[in-house]
Amino acid sequence: MNHLSEEQIVLHYYGDADEAAEVERHLAACPECRAEFARVQSTLRQIEPLEVPEPAPGFEEKTWLNLRDRLPEEGGFLKRLLRPSPPKWAFAGVMALLLAAAFLAGRFWPRPGQQIAQQPPSQVNPQRVILVAVGDHLERSQMLLVEIMNADTKGPINLSSEQAEARELLDSNHLYRVSSQQAGDPQVARLLDQLGRVLAEIANGPAEVSPGDLEQVRHTIQSEGLLFKVRVVGSEVNSRARRPEPSGGGVNQRL
Amino acid sequence: MEVTDATVVAQVLAGDRDAFRVLVERHSRSIFRVIYRMTGNQQDTEELVQETFLRAYKSLERFELRANFSTWLYRIAVNRTLDFLGARKTHMQTKDTYQIVDNPDAEDRTQIQLPAQEPGPDRLLLSSEMKTKIAGALGLLTPAERVAFTMRHMEGRSIEEISQTLNLKASAAKNSVFRAVQKLRQQLEPYAGQGSPARSSRWGGSAVK
Repeated sequence: MNHLSEEQIVLHYYGDADEAAEVERHLAACPECRAEFARVQSTLRQIEPLEVPEPAPGFEEKTWLNLRDRLPEEGGFLKRLLRPSPPKWAFAGVMALLLAAAFLAGRFWPRPGQQIAQQPPSQVNPQRVILVAVGDHLERSQMLLVEIMNADTKGPINLSSEQAEARELLDSNHLYRVSSQQAGDPQVARLLDQLGRVLAEIANGPAEVSPGDLEQVRHTIQSEGLLFKVRVVGSEVNSRARRPEPSGGGVNQRL
Repeated sequence: MEVTDATVVAQVLAGDRDAFRVLVERHSRSIFRVIYRMTGNQQDTEELVQETFLRAYKSLERFELRANFSTWLYRIAVNRTLDFLGARKTHMQTKDTYQIVDNPDAEDRTQIQLPAQEPGPDRLLLSSEMKTKIAGALGLLTPAERVAFTMRHMEGRSIEEISQTLNLKASAAKNSVFRAVQKLRQQLEPYAGQGSPARSSRWGGSAVK
């Protein structure tokens, strides 16, 4: 008769074994496995839930006071502008969005000779600026995903630099997602939503990961075909950004 | 009637930063307990509670995807603690007090091992020799094993919760719990008064069949 594995016995202790009824039947019929189960039970029962000390009185107040000074002020402000709100705020939100996108585009997308840079500010099409910034964002995201997919799994895996990049991308990702939704571009909005979730996983995970953890992240990227989508949509966005503008400015160009 | 967490989150997202205080007051003690079980140090725990809320605040716009604020916050707390345990491991390595487990397998070599001298959540268990042994054995678990074991054994969390929190498949979460128990057995059964180590487990110190 085949005995139960150690894993089956341990998991059965917690009620987590697969085919529990079968494990139960085997234990009833097999004294050796029953003895093994008793040993597991005896060991685990000695490890009692840890008694946790009560935090000092006023702990919540102290936590809040320490935390309050560290909360980014602009986060709430930006979010307020981006949320559905009365028309005057909607207008202010759009303006803030465009300004931020223009700043990011200028910072991250230095393209010598590009028409946008040569135009006087009054003639720059804001939609096109955002388009360029989104293209750059997708390109950077693509590079990050490629790094994750090709990270060396020998030895300790430290993703701290990838996490820093993911955090930075995550902040702008939200901005572009809202922007693309407002511009009526569901394809880009959907992709950025999907990308945001993966970036959040990377940004909020531990800096040092096991091969299993890394494999899990890779699996998420692969199963959603994210790298492929980022590549395709990024290429399309870049191509739209380079397309000559129709006369009249093309203000309503989709993102 | 008490305002729900979701309503408070909406207030914060609408720009009322001080509304976040309600969430801190509601959840900081439970988050304290969760983190303490993994770190065993009150000061570290208090700092991690703050880090958890800070991370939650910065990520609040993504909360709308989650069903329950406390579950979402719990997940952030566990991940911040994993970061902390990993960083502490690096610090201990630098100080050359790092200790490798006796029988690391191929996977273990790439995982984080905690220093055996650092009893972690076990400081309250130091009143007897067996409790000291338990403290040492828990100190040999990787952070992921330690978290999975703490969640399953000490907090009674389900495998589903563990897999969601650690972003693992259910099978990997089960395996983390099992590997933790396996290591604990290797360390503790020789002292359990149930015979020699050779008799105490038919697998001895070997890996899973």
